[in-house]
Amino acid sequence: MKAWLISHRQACRRAIRRLLSQPTVTLLSVLVIGIAITLPLGLYVTFANVSAAASRANTEPNVNVYLALNVSEQETRDLERKLKALHEVDRVIFISRETALSEMKRIANLADLLSSLETNPLPHAFSIRPKAGDPVTLEALKKDIAALPKIDIIAMDFEWAQKLKRFAVFAERIVLLLGLLLAAAVVFVTGNTIRLQILTQKDEIEVSQLIGATRRFIRRPFLYFGTFQGLLAGLVAVFAVMVFIWWAGAEVRALTASYGSDFSLQAPTGQQSLSVVLLAGLLGWLGAFLSVWMYLRRVSSR
Amino acid sequence: MIVFSNTVKRYPNGFEALKGVSFTIEKGEIVAVTGHSGAGKSTLLRLAAGIELASQGSVLLNNQNVSQLKEAGLAVMRRNLGLVFQDHKLLFDRTVFENVALPLSIAAFSRLETGRRVRAALDKVGLLNHEKADPITLSGGEQQRLCIARAIVNRPATLIADEPTGNLDQAYAEKIIDLFKSFNDVGVTVLLATHDDVGLARLRCRRITLESGKLAR
Repeated sequence: MKAWLISHRQACRRAIRRLLSQPTVTLLSVLVIGIAITLPLGLYVTFANVSAAASRANTEPNVNVYLALNVSEQETRDLERKLKALHEVDRVIFISRETALSEMKRIANLADLLSSLETNPLPHAFSIRPKAGDPVTLEALKKDIAALPKIDIIAMDFEWAQKLKRFAVFAERIVLLLGLLLAAAVVFVTGNTIRLQILTQKDEIEVSQLIGATRRFIRRPFLYFGTFQGLLAGLVAVFAVMVFIWWAGAEVRALTASYGSDFSLQAPTGQQSLSVVLLAGLLGWLGAFLSVWMYLRRVSSR
Repeated sequence: MIVFSNTVKRYPNGFEALKGVSFTIEKGEIVAVTGHSGAGKSTLLRLAAGIELASQGSVLLNNQNVSQLKEAGLAVMRRNLGLVFQDHKLLFDRTVFENVALPLSIAAFSRLETGRRVRAALDKVGLLNHEKADPITLSGGEQQRLCIARAIVNRPATLIADEPTGNLDQAYAEKIIDLFKSFNDVGVTVLLATHDDVGLARLRCRRITLESGKLAR
């Protein structure tokens, strides 16, 4: 156990010495890997924010039916009855034009402007909840409602939220695919760095093997090197994303506020950041392992 | 103890470097393998050290069949051998001290013990005052002694040396032969390949002579 610890300590020390002995090469490698990780991480954070916004939006199917302005009370009651009789309809709520006006005044802070109007420009409306939200039912419902008299506009306001949700799912898959591709790139970049390291230490590896070094012993400092490089690259990526959120966050907040939303970009949590750094370390380890494994297999003396 | 039993070494191109060689080297014995260039001396030593494997027959080192050892077992076996290479195989980007410390680093010795053993080995070969030097600055004889220091730093029970006096002048060659004699005096089994007749006369040991891959006598 003591020998094992000594061996690991020696390998760790040698890896750190190698990293520090060529600071420019180390910095460039770390930056290249860091940038490769920044891209999927940045996209992940962006789409995680969009997903969060989409999940907050109301995506329950709801159909708003606006009546013509000249509709009478009797016609409105007839329409309500006919709407409730439709087999696709679950619930119908009547919103009178007076209620709509006062609601608008309250929500949009347009009291002064709306008070200055001589007549109420808003129509009576029905808010309808369908029994099912599938496109076939909704299309049939839309057609049935459109066939009724005195109907001016049929609005399906939930459609944009559903589209946003679908886009978030699609984006999540794109990020996953991109993440996998760039993870492979990280493994290759680390593997290549290690390959160059191996070439410069070919003699040492050969002599070490001749005098009793196991493959594990040969591999160990390279694995530490790859892991450290990956961890540093992970820190670079997290730092870059934090800087991006700080830089773009204020602009995004201002933009969304102008649309009446309180949406703002959220930075990755501490746990997420730690996961990214550890994953980068793991990818670095994997790249180093594959590189040394291939080399040792090629030069195996047996 | 080293035992070769009807050992054959055949290379992929069909060339047979050893053709059914059999002999035994007892524990604590010193044996010189002689023969002309290409007779199979280096091959025999490489088989004894497990660097190459026998195509037929067997090589036993301390009752272990070298051919049957797996990667890890072979590494452990080599750690208990002292190997002196004809081309020294020194690391020129490391200091003299670091070159000698390499086997101890592989065997995971503590820094304190490593320092103690490396200085003792360097003292033994007369290079103690060169421990911080780069090997490239050493003469051929000093480089050979450095290689011997690296081979003995682990205090191996068996030393295998390939042409340890090759390319050295007589004075240096004698010093090196005397070193091997001194190791053998303390019980180390020594197997060395050489074609240095003066050195052999100084060693006064059993000879195994190879001729075209076969034992001559």
